[in-house]
Amino acid sequence: MEIVNRPHVQNFIRWAADKPEVVVLSADLTNSCEVGAWRDTYPERFFSLGMAEQNMLGFAGGLAREGFEPFVHTFAVFIYRRPYDQLAMSIAYPNLPVRLMAFLPGITTPGGVTHQAIEDVAVMRATPNMTVLETGDATEVESVLDVAHAVDGPVYVRFLRGRVPRLFPRTEPMVLGQARVLHEGDDVTVLTAGITTEEALRAVPALADAGVHATHLHVSTHKPFDDPTVLAALRRAKRGVVTLENHTIVGGLGTAVAELMAEHAVGTPLVRLGLRDTYAHGASQAYLMREYGLDAMALVRAVERLTDTDTGLAEDDLAKVRVEEVHSLAKAEAL
Amino acid sequence: MNSSRPSAQHLAGIARRIRRRDLDMIYEAGAGHLGSELSCTDLLVALYFGELQVDPDEPSAPTRDRFVLSKGHAAGVLYVTLAEAGFIDPAELATFMQPGSRLNGHPDRKLVPGVETNTGPLGHGLPVAVGMAKAAKLRGESWRTWVLTGDGELQEGSNWEAAMAAAHFGLDNLALVIDHNRFQQGAAVADTNDLAPLADKWRAFGWHLHELDGHDFDAIFAGFDVARSTRGRPTCLIAHTNKGEGISFTRDRVAWHHRVPTAEEYAQARAELTEVPS
Repeated sequence: MEIVNRPHVQNFIRWAADKPEVVVLSADLTNSCEVGAWRDTYPERFFSLGMAEQNMLGFAGGLAREGFEPFVHTFAVFIYRRPYDQLAMSIAYPNLPVRLMAFLPGITTPGGVTHQAIEDVAVMRATPNMTVLETGDATEVESVLDVAHAVDGPVYVRFLRGRVPRLFPRTEPMVLGQARVLHEGDDVTVLTAGITTEEALRAVPALADAGVHATHLHVSTHKPFDDPTVLAALRRAKRGVVTLENHTIVGGLGTAVAELMAEHAVGTPLVRLGLRDTYAHGASQAYLMREYGLDAMALVRAVERLTDTDTGLAEDDLAKVRVEEVHSLAKAEAL
Repeated sequence: MNSSRPSAQHLAGIARRIRRRDLDMIYEAGAGHLGSELSCTDLLVALYFGELQVDPDEPSAPTRDRFVLSKGHAAGVLYVTLAEAGFIDPAELATFMQPGSRLNGHPDRKLVPGVETNTGPLGHGLPVAVGMAKAAKLRGESWRTWVLTGDGELQEGSNWEAAMAAAHFGLDNLALVIDHNRFQQGAAVADTNDLAPLADKWRAFGWHLHELDGHDFDAIFAGFDVARSTRGRPTCLIAHTNKGEGISFTRDRVAWHHRVPTAEEYAQARAELTEVPS
């Protein structure tokens, strides 16, 4: 698998070259959000607002009101928690084209609970006018810019940084409201988003070899959540549905799937894997995914329970987890 | 605008008419923020009839001045002022806060011509206005951004984040007018979370500071001239006002922040606000 080093950096510079209305706002996390080179390339379009997120989001609303397209770059927790009132009232209510680039979603941060955005999808899904996206690989990190740019309204993007795998070909960019079908089978349907997709890619082929066949969908649009491909896949599952998300199981992908199933009378069991209404503690991503049941083995066990199967699969039978190199070597905490 | 500014006497007549219509509207709707609206009425009249370059026939003209009413709970007097200035039909004021009306309790920019921003939760206007003023600078355009906040509103920290940013960016095309009526919803500001020394705070944050009598049109315009002639930094105009100004029994009474008059009170207030020829 190709691992791409900081795909956002040069891609965003190239992408913005012919878009003078695009400006970048930072709250003193410029290099942490991979826009240091962008700042140096377009200094007249880059604004550091300091550690003052309420003003930054109101400021973004003001710029958007006057025809600019602000791309706010900071950690997810500092976008949807501290300045939520400004996000809702100065951006979402007036339906302004502000792009909220939310870094370090879920447990991808080593910074501990204070930096873990574990309920952001729930909050953003519940915010009217908001489009909610999540990137799962380098191709989506690159192509989400076009997707967000085309939306006439605010967009929240769970964004990946650092060394990012390329799971999907460059020729297959992210498309708004379209899930990717990564595997097909009739026994269960598995839905993943963001970093959990790579985990399912490790588990689903091994399950198939063991005789349990899954349809696996990768979701990059959390809202709107009305993709007919998703509904068809939910209806196809004979034994049940499993969602696996880097988020609390309250309000995120699992909840969106539950809503869709209930609204369309899809009467099959649903297992939601994710943080079970708890804060996680601070540790490496790999450790936390194991500890909180967000990894490939957790998915295997959930599918076994749903299908009353003992596949005999163990960690060694799955494709190797790639070495985690998301964070800077220069800074232990990489914040 | 200063050369063609109307006389103070003329503006006093407009202000009297607006206060009376605002009183009527709140009485009819059974809701509103009378005290908060009466304190900033003269400031709004000075802005709309003697300062802002805005055109009711083209409310979205790109070169217009932007006015942000950050104390969105004073929406009622903004609507009356917009009607007086020709942005909306005066007859529509009868729908204030009624089902289906676009004249909500707090203003909506997508519904009401002349409203630049949605406000209501306090501390929102100034950050948005800083963005607007910065946008004008980026485009090299000469329109100005004006913001009106309450004083109790300044307890919200977002204002001070925006104050830092406006000074940092040197936004001399931005002016903040503080309706310093000394009262917030439940009590005097000084007894709640005191802002004093307010002028020193703005100076310390890098703004040009000017104080004025918010019920004296000549003083208000002198302040506007100060704002327009200041270079390199934003201007803060502290307008000393009285909550409930214009009606004897509402003036400086915190209870009238959002009280609705009884029939008897309404009759007395209306008598006090008799129209004077303009």
